[in-house]
Amino acid sequence: MKKTKTQAFANLIGSLIFIALGAWALTQTYSFQEVKNTYVQAAVFPQIMCVGMLIFAIILLIQSIIKLMTMDENDPLAEPAASINFIKDRGVLAALFVMLLCVLFVMFFKSLGYVICGAVLCFVIMVLIGKRNWLQMALVSILVPLGMWLVFYKVLTVNIPMGPLQFLRDLVDMI
Amino acid sequence: MNWSLLASSYGAVFGNVQVLLMTFLGALGGVLLGAIPGMTATMGVALLIPFSFGMDLIPSIGLLLGIYCGGMYGGSISAILIHAPGTPAAAATLLDGYPMCQKGQAGKALSVAMFSSFVGGVIGALIMTFLSPIIADMAMNFGPGEMFMLAVFGLSVIVAISGKSIAKGLVSAFFGMLLCTVGLDPTNGIPRFITYKQTGLLEGFQFIPTLIGLFAVAEVIAGVERIIRGEEKQESSHEKITNVLPDWQTIKQIWPNILSGGIIGTFIGAIPGAGGDIAVFVSYGFNKSLSKHPELWGTGIPNGVASTESANNGCSGGAMIPLLSLGVPGDSVTAILLGAFIMKGIQPGPMMYISELPTVYKVFAALMLANLAMLVVGCLGVRFFAKIVSVEKKMLYPIILVISLLGAFSINKNVFDVGVCVVFGIIGWLMNKYEFPLSPILLALILGPMCEKNFVRYMNIQRGNFFAIFTSPIAMVFLVVAVATILFSIYKQSKINKREAAHKAAQKAQ
Repeated sequence: MKKTKTQAFANLIGSLIFIALGAWALTQTYSFQEVKNTYVQAAVFPQIMCVGMLIFAIILLIQSIIKLMTMDENDPLAEPAASINFIKDRGVLAALFVMLLCVLFVMFFKSLGYVICGAVLCFVIMVLIGKRNWLQMALVSILVPLGMWLVFYKVLTVNIPMGPLQFLRDLVDMI
Repeated sequence: MNWSLLASSYGAVFGNVQVLLMTFLGALGGVLLGAIPGMTATMGVALLIPFSFGMDLIPSIGLLLGIYCGGMYGGSISAILIHAPGTPAAAATLLDGYPMCQKGQAGKALSVAMFSSFVGGVIGALIMTFLSPIIADMAMNFGPGEMFMLAVFGLSVIVAISGKSIAKGLVSAFFGMLLCTVGLDPTNGIPRFITYKQTGLLEGFQFIPTLIGLFAVAEVIAGVERIIRGEEKQESSHEKITNVLPDWQTIKQIWPNILSGGIIGTFIGAIPGAGGDIAVFVSYGFNKSLSKHPELWGTGIPNGVASTESANNGCSGGAMIPLLSLGVPGDSVTAILLGAFIMKGIQPGPMMYISELPTVYKVFAALMLANLAMLVVGCLGVRFFAKIVSVEKKMLYPIILVISLLGAFSINKNVFDVGVCVVFGIIGWLMNKYEFPLSPILLALILGPMCEKNFVRYMNIQRGNFFAIFTSPIAMVFLVVAVATILFSIYKQSKINKREAAHKAAQKAQ
């Protein structure tokens, strides 16, 4: 197997990402405002965390490089790493699609309300993963968000955006 | 100890129909609320406190304690069944509870959680009854330095829960601690990694949306991926739950974990500002370190569930200790309970043990009753809860997602939190995929703010002289135990890794 497809290589990439993140965060901390007459500035704690993250990410990087140079096929880290290639892997593509749906859910949450957004999200995911009992799908998609809204609104008194279904709130209040 | 008064107080509580009814209703409400991701026991108590206005003191305290204890157990239900802890105090339960569910042992995991919660709660109530003045004195010796070291001790558990790679676990932990620093600096209000215009992040990443994202949303995304690849197994819906309580064999296996968890939970609960969310990880790390088979922890064993669930319910008794003895609430729920006492004209504190001793004893009895009520409600519900896993995965995942996103919103009624939840879902999915453990992030999110706040306070009190901490015996005990835990966990993990590598090599050779 190619070394670039092993878990050791994935660890190497992961460590580089965390090193980049730690380095970026550390540089940011130097721009934090300072306050007089205090023993611990706002930047101190984040700086300690950045340095800690950098140290262990560098250790992981070194471990991964050594592994890549010395490992044999019996090594646990020589096993294939998980893929995020959405062109070759339909599973990853589906996962990305769910993420997109979640982002759309957040974007339309206020304007369309929880029940509509939740019902659409629920239904589309069921279609995506191959459920084909349309009646059951429709019932679950509508009743679950509606039921949850009712519980949160009436029992827990949490006001949830309802969008065009605002009339339901008035209806429930009337009852 | 006035034994006859104690006995008559128990009689008055257990023989009062209104108290029994209110406590059982509270426990039922607590279990159901706790099971909803995003709804905490604190929120349950706060929501239902208006219902207690018209009642006498003891029925109203029974109602609130019922919610408290029920909520603590309820949080474990969703942690075990859908990988989304209902409450922060159930966060560590998913480490072993969810793998048990995946092995088709959801019913067993739920019954172990329920039994451990009950015994942990009883341990807490007993310690509260007999040792509260002594523990309250000890707890009051905790200043910022001791609290900082307690947080450091809690963080030392990270090594034990890091899994195969300690370096990866520590990278995750520092990443989590770094996330805690986003927002306004808690001492001076200086914005860190944000500007004042980014109002959603002024208070940093909210814990519950982050938690729901990292665990529930990430699990749904991974579940959809597995279904499309054809790797998803439908969990057995035919797990026979013959007994709602764990069998004798299991109890023999888990009793040391329950006992130590209950004691750890009670003592940590008694420290104002430290609650169930911290106690569960300390208990988990402690019990794992002492286990003969630490390699099995995290793979779905009842010991893991028992150690965490007994600790979080032990906390309920612990948190009552400073409330009753000193008038200082141990956590947010007891802060609300303090309000309930004051509303009824009773001021908790040292004088309460002199002027209101019968009331104090009745509160002890009410806590015992609340734990019993939680056990009964749990026993009645365990078969029903266990059925949730038999729902077809193609329907269960979208339902979990829709409920989880609502849970994230409900904390602050803020859409931004739902966005945070989704972003952390994506981060959690990626980190899971490349085996960066998520539990250290969780622990860091819980302990990070406590660590920083107390560190800054301590430094300001000591005028920048950090080394003065070495003069505090309590802080030193925590430091020594933390160092010992880290070294012991590293030693044990290296043994596990060597054993696994040898096992794999032998398997390949065959």
